Amino acid sequence: MTVQRVNKILLIALLSVCAIWLIIPFTMAVLWSLVDPSEPWTADKVLPPVMSLFRWTDMWENSSLKSALIASYTLAPSAAVLSLLLALPTAFALGRISFPGRELAKMLCLLPLVVPPFITAIFFTSLLFQIGLSSWRPGAILFAHSVLFMPFAIRILTVSFEQVRQDHIDAARDLGASHWARFKVAYFPALKPGIFATLLIVFIQSIEEFAIAFIVGSPDVVTIPTLLYSALGQDYVRPNAAVLSLILVVPNVLLMLILERLLRSANPTLSSGKG
Amino acid sequence: MKLRRGLLIIGLLTPGLGLILALIGTVVYIAVSQSFGYYSLNGTSEFSTEFWSKMAGRKAFKRSIQYSIYIGVFSAIFSVALAYPLAIWLRKPFAGSNFIGAVLKAPLLVHGLVAAFLFINVISYHGILNQFMQWLGIWSEPRRLQNDPNAYGVLILQTWKNMPFALLLLTGAVQSISDDVLDAARDLGAGTWDRFRRIIAPLTVSGMQAAMVIIFIGAVADFSFQVIAGPTNKQSLSQLMVSFKGRGDWHSAAVVGVSLMMIALVGSAILAVVARMVMRGRIK
Repeated sequence: MTVQRVNKILLIALLSVCAIWLIIPFTMAVLWSLVDPSEPWTADKVLPPVMSLFRWTDMWENSSLKSALIASYTLAPSAAVLSLLLALPTAFALGRISFPGRELAKMLCLLPLVVPPFITAIFFTSLLFQIGLSSWRPGAILFAHSVLFMPFAIRILTVSFEQVRQDHIDAARDLGASHWARFKVAYFPALKPGIFATLLIVFIQSIEEFAIAFIVGSPDVVTIPTLLYSALGQDYVRPNAAVLSLILVVPNVLLMLILERLLRSANPTLSSGKG
Repeated sequence: MKLRRGLLIIGLLTPGLGLILALIGTVVYIAVSQSFGYYSLNGTSEFSTEFWSKMAGRKAFKRSIQYSIYIGVFSAIFSVALAYPLAIWLRKPFAGSNFIGAVLKAPLLVHGLVAAFLFINVISYHGILNQFMQWLGIWSEPRRLQNDPNAYGVLILQTWKNMPFALLLLTGAVQSISDDVLDAARDLGAGTWDRFRRIIAPLTVSGMQAAMVIIFIGAVADFSFQVIAGPTNKQSLSQLMVSFKGRGDWHSAAVVGVSLMMIALVGSAILAVVARMVMRGRIK
């Protein structure tokens, strides 16, 4: 057998695996989200007997979906901006100044990624109780998200700062550019993709984050993942869970594809092992 | 001058790295202190090993430890074992290889809770898998597959979610091996297995270790897959910790939390060492 032939067989085998891997689960989710309550989808029917967008409009009007969307989509951009601002000075130091212990500092920046999320969530809540800030839930979640997703921000921005060319900075300085002008002509062009990538990745991480939002936020703050969690647990209605799953997954996949474009050289999915 | 420079660097690191260290440091400090009776939220705060000794006597705690380690170790092994052949297959680009890579990596973009929903939807009592098996005539009646007692469901979910991550790390490692080395081995008569064992495995060992450790830490601390798809008679350590916290028993939650951190730390060190020994061929 030739190599092409083997590859072809493997390809077909893999495509069928991928059908099981992705297509079937997602098709089932879409179909379930379209089941009309007037007639249930029983096991003897291949497709739902009556299909409508009822579940979607019903969820929109009669559940906490709207407030969850508002909470998630205000929290995420705020966390993204805050994380970016907090990460910039550290990334500058790590990317442009050489000092003893720089590699250690880079490693320590990754700490939030190795501490299990529920430990962070529970003992951060405990900390909030100790210092009497337990009623400050939205702010606490915002703070936690900004700090916990900073490793991504620092990592991406450090690489961006490393890519700023010293001769551009020197040339700007020789031509008498002020601090601000030097930033604009020498730093900003090199940093721009990194800044967008940072905003996007923290945004996605924050939208998807579950442990902090669930432990710190309950019961006042509802985000899309915590809403989905309760839809999968105590009040499991399959069509509703299907609607929520699609609302959570579709925008993020689109955003990740944009991110992939932005970071074509680096590997965005590598820096975002999500869970 | 040196002092000024040092202060500048510290000043620059404070809002970023400083905050990270402060938050994580405080969280770990509070967890450890609470496990020894300090920082009590509803009683007297004093040093006590009572919470540790009480917890050590609990059957549910021991079961949780065993169960979480089981999930962590097998998730890491399955993910890496599946990712290796795929990474080697995708080493050289061919028609469609980019597409395959993208499809395989797609689960990275799917949220864990969504993945859990998709999974229980497919395996539910009247779900498509049950119907398919009945249609084939292999099963005469639908079977209850959700929340299976051996947690195969959780392992499948963990592998589905983590294999792409292992694949990503291993593809990078495998692609950096030059053709010359592999051709030389082939010329010297090494078969596929020998080439894997003698060349690919030792040269990709650090990527594999990283994948193992990261997947292990994530899976050992799993909460959502366990709650949604896991066995109902067992609890993972995260789940146990959350349930203690829910009852207001912060000290017991802290004992479980600290144990979980230690297991994650020690476990990943052991896994990394064992993986290196196996891959370097010291254990056959």
